[in-house]
Amino acid sequence: MTTADEEFRREFTRLSAAFVAELPQRVQILSDDLAAWLSAPREALMFERLSHRVHQLKGAGSTFGCNGISNAAAVLEQHLAALHSAASSASGGTAVALEEIEAAIEALRDETNRVCGESAQGGKSGARK
Amino acid sequence: MPEPTLNRILYVEDDADIRTIVTMSLEKLGKFRVAACDSCAEALALVDDFRPDLLLLDVMMPDVDGPATLQVLRERVSTASAPAIFVTAKVQTGDIERYRKLGVLDVIIKPFDPMVLPGQIERIWQQHWSGANDYGG
Repeated sequence: MTTADEEFRREFTRLSAAFVAELPQRVQILSDDLAAWLSAPREALMFERLSHRVHQLKGAGSTFGCNGISNAAAVLEQHLAALHSAASSASGGTAVALEEIEAAIEALRDETNRVCGESAQGGKSGARK
Repeated sequence: MPEPTLNRILYVEDDADIRTIVTMSLEKLGKFRVAACDSCAEALALVDDFRPDLLLLDVMMPDVDGPATLQVLRERVSTASAPAIFVTAKVQTGDIERYRKLGVLDVIIKPFDPMVLPGQIERIWQQHWSGANDYGG
């Protein structure tokens, strides 16, 4: 392995640890954004911000090897899109989608706790090594 | 036409984590010069001085997304004909073909392995200049 490889891996490991450390805060912000949007579901900007945060979490999770986080965010992203579509059309599918969203955010919290727990124990942080 | 050397990459990505990883990968492992921007506006501010050989654009960004950023950069003399690659996590049926019709060389799908990303980009570059794809730039 070259020095550049080693240097990159070292820095990548540091950034992965920082990503995991910030996960609870990111998920909380996302959860707050979700609550705000649910109280005003026709606010396009709120939805845009929320879906963007979820999309970023999905991308960053997979980049750092936290596939559970990425998968949970992907599920949430899909349900959000469905709920947004239902809210826009008022087609009556909102209640079902809302339950799915609650389950998805709970799954994201659970996965965050799991990843952070592993990291705190000094085990696999869930991040790519 | 002899293949020009790929040296300067303009990278536009709004996610700070991914931007840092990719920049580090391209600079440290690929030995490229990278101008990393978080938005189309930031890219426009530096593109004329930087004069990139290649544009590497995230697709899903707030305000101005990757395809729109490409369109804006195409209007600048310094990037009017620079080959471009899109990076995206959200790919549905037909997306890749649609992006290629916008003139990008290829689409890199997230998640990608940052250890092999520079080689992946180099291969796309070489294929482009050897005429192995016809998507233009």
